[in-house]
Amino acid sequence: MAKLTIDGKEIEVPDGSSLFDACRDARGEDLPHFCYHPDLSIAGVCRLCQVEVEGMPKLTIACNTGVRDGMVVHTRNERVTKASTQILEMHLINHPVDCPICDQAGECGLQNQYMSHGLYDTKVEMDDKVHKGKAQVIGPHVILDQERCVLCTRCVRFCTEVTGTGELGIFNRGDQARIGTAPGVELDNNYSMNTVDICPVGALTSRDFRFQKRVWMLKAADSICPGCATGCNVRIDHEAGRIYRLKPRYNPEVNGRWMCDKGRMTYKAVHDETRLGDPSVDGRTETWAGVTGTLANLVGAGGFGLVVGSPHQSLEELHLLKALAKDAPLSGGLAGSDHGDADDLLLDADRTPNRRGLEMLGVAQHDGPALADLIKRSSGPVLILGGDPAADPQVAAALGEKDSVIYIGTHGDETAGLAKVVIPGAMWAEKAGIFVNRNGRLQEFKQAVARHGNAREDWRILAELMTACERPDVPGSLKAVRSDLAGAVAVDVDLNKLPVRGFLPGGEAR
Amino acid sequence: MSFEGLPKGSCDKKRSFRDSIYLWEVLRGLGVTAKHLVWNILHTDQMPTMQYPEEKRVYGDRFRGRHRLMQRQDGSPVCVACQMCSTYCPADCITIVGAEHPDPKIEKYPISFEIDLLRCVYCGLCEEACPCDAIRLDTGIYEIAADSREKFIVDKEFLLDNHTDGTL
Repeated sequence: MAKLTIDGKEIEVPDGSSLFDACRDARGEDLPHFCYHPDLSIAGVCRLCQVEVEGMPKLTIACNTGVRDGMVVHTRNERVTKASTQILEMHLINHPVDCPICDQAGECGLQNQYMSHGLYDTKVEMDDKVHKGKAQVIGPHVILDQERCVLCTRCVRFCTEVTGTGELGIFNRGDQARIGTAPGVELDNNYSMNTVDICPVGALTSRDFRFQKRVWMLKAADSICPGCATGCNVRIDHEAGRIYRLKPRYNPEVNGRWMCDKGRMTYKAVHDETRLGDPSVDGRTETWAGVTGTLANLVGAGGFGLVVGSPHQSLEELHLLKALAKDAPLSGGLAGSDHGDADDLLLDADRTPNRRGLEMLGVAQHDGPALADLIKRSSGPVLILGGDPAADPQVAAALGEKDSVIYIGTHGDETAGLAKVVIPGAMWAEKAGIFVNRNGRLQEFKQAVARHGNAREDWRILAELMTACERPDVPGSLKAVRSDLAGAVAVDVDLNKLPVRGFLPGGEAR
Repeated sequence: MSFEGLPKGSCDKKRSFRDSIYLWEVLRGLGVTAKHLVWNILHTDQMPTMQYPEEKRVYGDRFRGRHRLMQRQDGSPVCVACQMCSTYCPADCITIVGAEHPDPKIEKYPISFEIDLLRCVYCGLCEEACPCDAIRLDTGIYEIAADSREKFIVDKEFLLDNHTDGTL
């Protein structure tokens, strides 16, 4: 351990840690900075985090300085604040100050630093500024504005160190230096939009989010990406019932500070045109009261002939589905469904968020022929909860022969076309629940937006079906479902109060 | 209702005959009215009533009337859809949808710009917030009438056209 004095405050930090982190601990806030990023190498190019270390003749940058026992550091004296203001002024010399049309405005490092460390009057006329490329499309997801760039090289380091693809680089020198891609090269890797997140200014912005909303109007909800089994922690940015973007949420146990571009686009399915908004019976739109009556006639106390779940549903829903099935055969849906290419960073080949949840509850999955066989042999109504199993032609053929298929789904897919009763369920952003990721970590997602049309939360639909089947102990709230679930899966945690970083049964690293 | 707190004797004063039939007081009141009527007929130029709409009050130059959107030289809006005005608007009456402009020097422009004149409180904060001087309330128009609520939601073309009559 090293003992330091920072701004007159004594602080003890582990040997070998950076002075930048020590200063943050002592000050309670970051030093001004652009180029420093905890997950990337030290570049030391922005020169903003300069501090005065007693015994050193000149100011030194904190990010590239290691701590030493007995160090006396000043971060707020006149010499340091004057230096950071001047450095910031230099960064802003050629900045176009087009905040009104910049998507970064509101969450911009340059705006924040200026308000806290700048507040000087500009000495440069607009016409004297060096002009560079505006609105350059450099990849399928990212658009570049070279004028706004402060050359912190975070994006360059990200593409070299994290993805290893190295598309971006700095071209030219001096005030002509600019970020760009080599001719014929596109910023087209599956993690390209992380460069938008780490860009401290508005140089790299998202093409998907471009001009959609000003960021200060957005509200945030904590969620889990449903795109694959990794279960990256995300923040849903939404406003007035519409989701505008997904941003990664820091979780060192799962995704760190990153998430993939495929995951960022998963929100589009929530506002898809094929979303089911109303219950329907034999293709006719029905009210909830009407469909409840139909279900009571169809199901009754005899229960179901077969119940099919899916790895797209939350742990609570699958638990409730298991209780609803009782003695009827239960399947976890198609075994090989929803797979794609994996990479060694975050994206998993399994594109479902909760296949481990099915395993945890002991619900077996079946391949196409086996599931088709189960459907053919079933006597009584077949209940399908999500997952679109009719995407498999054999299952579709078997379902086509059944006349009492009940489907709780979200989109007008193959299964919805074959089912007698179609019930609109909520998508992941419209409800709360728990997903179990590929490592067995239980992670909670929360509701962000209102449900589409007349869709209902799936646990409510299942509870209603339990009432139709005249089952005892119909749960009245999601909390009750979770309490019941905790007994079934025997995890040593209160499922209603899961930790922010999730819970890994058996082995918690910290 | 209770009269307990009233001073003693204020109610039980004996009225005279003239007071108790009220007629004398009614006629006296009519006399006051008739006096004003005759005086006003003889001195119409000194009457405080303004003959609106033939005669209109003169307002100062800083009067905030109906909004207008400023134009560039080619007639397109100066507005860059930064939504500062809709952010600051206390009545939440401005709705802007931004879009990509073909000219990369302009980059962003409003594809739709709507103001709900019924919600607007004419506070002028949108003018103050605008970084481009794209919206002004300087038309001086305060006679705003329409026969349906929908017509009070005015669009970009209307605001750019800067109408001077009171019709919507």
